[in-house]
Amino acid sequence: MSNSNQEKWFPKLIDGLLPVFATIAALLVGAVMLLLLKVNPIEAYKAMWDGAFGSQNALAETLVKATPLLLVGLGICISFRGDVINIGGEGQMIVGAIMGTLVGITLVDWPGWAVIPIALITGFIGGAIWGGIPGVLKAYFNVNEILSTVMMNAIAVQLMNFLLRGPMIDPSQAEVASKIPQTARLLDTFRLPRWVPTRLHLGALIAVVLAILVYLLLWRTTWGYRIRAVGQNPDASRYAGVKVRNYIVLALILSGAFAGLAGVMQVYGVNYRMITDGSASGFTGSAGFNGIVAALFGGLHPIGTIPASILFGGLLVGANKMQRVVQVPSALITALNGLVVVFVVSSEIWRRRRQKRRLAAASPDGEGIIPVGTDQGDTSSKEKEVEL
Amino acid sequence: MKKFRLLVTVLLLLAVLLSACTTQEPAPAVEETGAEEPAMEETKEPFRVAVVMPSSINDLAFSQSMYDALLTIQSEMGGEEAMEIVYSDGMFVVDDAAAAIRDYASEGYNLVIAHGSQYGSSLQEIAPDFPETSFAWGTTVDTFGIDNIFAYEAASDQGGYVNGVLAASLSKTGILGVVGPIETGDAKLYVDGFVAGAKATDPTVQVNVNYIGSFSDVALAAEAANTHIAAGADVLTGTAQMVVGAIGVAEESGALWFGTQASQTELAPSIVVANQVYRWDIVLKEIMDLIGDGTYGGTSFVIDLANGGEVLEFNPDFDIPADVAALAEETIAEISGGAVALQAPKFEDVFQVAVVMPSSINDLAFSQSMYDALVSVQEWMGGEGAMEFVYSDGMFVVDDAAAAIRDYAAEGFDLVIAHGSQYGSSLQEIAPDFPETSFAWGTTVDTFGIGNIFAYEAASHEGGYVNGVIAASLSETGVLGVVGPIETGDAKLYVDGFVAGALATNPDIQVNVNYIGSFSDVALASEAASTHVAAGADGLTGTAQMVVGAIGVAEESGAMWFGTQASQSGLAPANVVANQVYHWDVVLKEVVQMIADGTYGGTSFVIDLANGGEVMDFNADYELPAEVKSLALDTIKGIVDGSITIVFGE
Amino acid sequence: MISDLLSMTVLVGILASGIRLATPYLYAAIGETFGQRSGVLNLGVDGQMLMGAFTAFYVAIKTGNLWLGILSAMVAGALMGLAMAFVTVNLHAEQGISGIGFYLFGLGLSDLLFQKLLGTVETVKGFPKIQIPFLSDIPVVGEIFFRQNVLVYIAFALVPVAWFILNKTTLGLKIRAVGENPEAADSLGVSVARIRYFTIILGGTLSGVAGASMSIALVNVFQQNMTSGLGFIAVALVYFGAWRPWGVLGGALLFSLVNSLQLWIQVLGIPIPSDIAVMMPYILTILVLVATVSRVRAPSALTKSFERGD
Repeated sequence: MSNSNQEKWFPKLIDGLLPVFATIAALLVGAVMLLLLKVNPIEAYKAMWDGAFGSQNALAETLVKATPLLLVGLGICISFRGDVINIGGEGQMIVGAIMGTLVGITLVDWPGWAVIPIALITGFIGGAIWGGIPGVLKAYFNVNEILSTVMMNAIAVQLMNFLLRGPMIDPSQAEVASKIPQTARLLDTFRLPRWVPTRLHLGALIAVVLAILVYLLLWRTTWGYRIRAVGQNPDASRYAGVKVRNYIVLALILSGAFAGLAGVMQVYGVNYRMITDGSASGFTGSAGFNGIVAALFGGLHPIGTIPASILFGGLLVGANKMQRVVQVPSALITALNGLVVVFVVSSEIWRRRRQKRRLAAASPDGEGIIPVGTDQGDTSSKEKEVEL
Repeated sequence: MKKFRLLVTVLLLLAVLLSACTTQEPAPAVEETGAEEPAMEETKEPFRVAVVMPSSINDLAFSQSMYDALLTIQSEMGGEEAMEIVYSDGMFVVDDAAAAIRDYASEGYNLVIAHGSQYGSSLQEIAPDFPETSFAWGTTVDTFGIDNIFAYEAASDQGGYVNGVLAASLSKTGILGVVGPIETGDAKLYVDGFVAGAKATDPTVQVNVNYIGSFSDVALAAEAANTHIAAGADVLTGTAQMVVGAIGVAEESGALWFGTQASQTELAPSIVVANQVYRWDIVLKEIMDLIGDGTYGGTSFVIDLANGGEVLEFNPDFDIPADVAALAEETIAEISGGAVALQAPKFEDVFQVAVVMPSSINDLAFSQSMYDALVSVQEWMGGEGAMEFVYSDGMFVVDDAAAAIRDYAAEGFDLVIAHGSQYGSSLQEIAPDFPETSFAWGTTVDTFGIGNIFAYEAASHEGGYVNGVIAASLSETGVLGVVGPIETGDAKLYVDGFVAGALATNPDIQVNVNYIGSFSDVALASEAASTHVAAGADGLTGTAQMVVGAIGVAEESGAMWFGTQASQSGLAPANVVANQVYHWDVVLKEVVQMIADGTYGGTSFVIDLANGGEVMDFNADYELPAEVKSLALDTIKGIVDGSITIVFGE
Repeated sequence: MISDLLSMTVLVGILASGIRLATPYLYAAIGETFGQRSGVLNLGVDGQMLMGAFTAFYVAIKTGNLWLGILSAMVAGALMGLAMAFVTVNLHAEQGISGIGFYLFGLGLSDLLFQKLLGTVETVKGFPKIQIPFLSDIPVVGEIFFRQNVLVYIAFALVPVAWFILNKTTLGLKIRAVGENPEAADSLGVSVARIRYFTIILGGTLSGVAGASMSIALVNVFQQNMTSGLGFIAVALVYFGAWRPWGVLGGALLFSLVNSLQLWIQVLGIPIPSDIAVMMPYILTILVLVATVSRVRAPSALTKSFERGD
């Protein structure tokens, strides 16, 4: 018995580390590219490591980068479980940020302890709305969510441009000849508390707490159960009386909400104002997409997404440091980012194969798939439901 | 009794001795006829000046410049009765010169000019022996702390710089040649200035410098010039009296010549473009005034462009293209106004600069303009050994940029440039944490009141206005099109200026403006341009990096293009009329200088047409009708001198 | 001012411009249609387009041969498609995400190659406009349709070809079967893997041409990220067109025409804020889809990986 317990955690550890191995493989390919650019890969990757984890400041930066990844990733965990693809994270972050910022620049006479939670909740709601629209469109009008979220992303960017250079512009910019499209700066009292010499802000902690809450939501509440059921088998769920439509909408609303929270968190924890350069990723840092990757790294499990976000965040932060030290064009960093994503995603197959083998060894009929309806609420459920 | 007698005798003897001593000194001076009063206004006695110089008074260079100055003052004062001039020229043997100086001093001349830096040590011995004589020594600023020596020098690098600017602008081969005497003093200063001016104008220009080792060897100078020509130079310059040999060679081969110290136009009127002429009389007048007030020395003087002691004289028989002439005027204005620091400051260690920018360094627009400026500043500082710079491009994610800025500061870079208005908030947080680092932020004028942030901006509406004027003048359909990114910041400023300029020129002109909503969507920019063309526009402009799409459409449809931020002529040589080119190096040089002086921020800079930070660059391949060209130049002048104010209508 | 819109010049301008703008969307979306019909979602289209755009541009500049440029773009796109196929079919990677990975890779690599191999922005003499004899002289219609460059014509010609392949050939049947029910197709002897490899590589090839159509025909220049997210819109248009080539054509045209409309609106000075105008194509696409509520279902196996013996 103790034997099988030991057997249980070690393979799972390997499974969990597979994304790491895949990342290393991707970095090896990256090393070839570095050599072609006449850069010493060892020097480059050492810089990457230093930039991600090599000092207190680096670690703080990594955590700051990881926070939106985690939040978006949590939303993705929810939506993917509901078999809904949400690639609208970028737009949802923007809208959440806009609404949260509005709170901060309007309620200037209110105390910080009131404004911050109101702003965060408003951002959450903003993202929920922006995710909800594609949700409703899918559920009631059969508009595919890929189409609608892509469109909503573009609309959100233009909305941001319009608002930030018009109604929401910093009043002090309005007189200047070359106006910067940015809002006024948030009052000091409205900022998320920071761990002072670094940029690490309270949002990171909030995100971790939320991760736990999401886990509880998905595995300990009816809503969560139904979302997963609808995702696994919509027909069966419909037979069981679950209003499938509603839960599709709910999945998108929730995942949009978390993305919106990620957006407003960036404003209140990092930038202290909203500013645009005309693109989505200028504000979001592509967290809307990278959050999806982080969720995948974490096995689409809210708790797993925590270390995954930290590692992936470290990769992104470290890569930028690498760019500075060895002076490679940032284009290389983008390509490297892509390689890591492809490799990690590809490594899933090994994880599933290994799990299948283990389950086949354990279950009676040797098939290894446990039907829907069983709710075990521990990480082993991850193995069953990953056959998406 | 005896003691008393002895005492009186001794006293008397002492008295005689003493009087002998006191009368001893002025004895040599007493030999002329009482011309001891140096005051020139009241005296009936002429003011007597003697000058010792190393070469001939008609050397068309060093010595002639001093002699001509003296003649100028003499005629101003009323001729020989007012001022007497004697000279000893060809005194290249220092010993002989020393003897002449001492002799003139002992003959009671009011002012003895030792015109040659090699005469210094001799003067150091002689001057104390003649405290009633005023000595002047050049070219130097050292008075040895002796209070009857005046020192004078030329900031020859200034005119050298302007000559260099002109030379680089006019050269067709991109190769310039310099013939110098010995690498020292006034000569080196001039040559360094020339090289700096050339490189500032065109960083790719090649300047070959040859110091022939002699101030007098004309044949060698001619040979050096021949070598330059053979190496491909089509513009030459040089300093000191042996250059006459080089000028002859230049004339033969049709190369252009730039002169210094005196006007060398008459030697080769067909090829001499301009001369930096020394007007020593500016300094001499001051010296003579001081002598009149009883001060015989102890001050040093510099002639430069600002005080008119150096004058850039253009050869009236040489046809300079109007834009080059305008460039020269600007440069002179800049230098005189102190806007251009010619000599780069020296730092103990390598000066390290980091820049963070939102797009690529070769975007032919915003980021490229900063990158090019840094390359130019590096050159000015003395190359990689003096200044290093690193960059992070493509930083459109504000967060990542913030991390980069903070990191560079933590790494100890001297200057961190945040080249993007979206980086401001981040900088506001970061700068206070690194008080020993200097930060620069653009495009904006806001330094947040933080002591280590410099701000910089472009008055892009000025060049926009000029472009608009030209476009409206040239348009045959009366319709112009603008392709912009997002209606904000530097882009909006430029567009508004363009529209204003066009309307000011032709109130009936139609200017259609299209903001495509993105800085990067090239296809949409291209389509916007097509739309403009279909709506009848025959002149297009735009700003930000996606305009490359629009330029392609302009080329295809035959419309004119007006560029900004960087020169886009290369992209469509037949269609680009003019570009407003940003020269951030004008700002960067000032920033570096301030850092060297210990100020790390707190000032904001604007590049505009007046300070040369914005330059209207006319496409050499585009034939601009003369009257439009001069309208453009007048517009530039009007903006610079303030007679034209740009008003945004609509 | 709004009445200006109704003038003939403007209407012709909008239509001609719309046709041109639609071209890259058509290539990419038709290619993606094949892939999605066989059950594969490829979100990396934008990256493939950028690689195609760069390759075509580079080859065209260095050799002066535009068709060689097109060919190289096809090869570049096909190679990326090959990699995507391997990752999707053999490694069963999560398609949406692997696509994003390829997108980032293509975006970064094309930028990097551009910086290292070319270094500066420059123009190329791309495909010229061709006037089709007789047809181009027809008033109005001629100007809109028959004075475009050859890649535009090919893009439109692809639509009936794609329709034919998908609906009238055995290959098309197999593709659709694999997309609807891969297990059944497999049991009937159809190699799911091979079909998917084919469609994914075809999709990559066409994406490459889409990119080339921008860099050496429509815009005649290459710049980093010049597609600016176009590939994602193309993927979305496949959904809009209900996985039918003619539907995709309709979607591409709708989107592009509204885009060119908003350009004209700005040019004519109609007082709509520029950002709102730019939003129009996106909003309209959603509205049209909402208005035409349909019962069309996606290929059942879309995004689901297939393993034999499941």
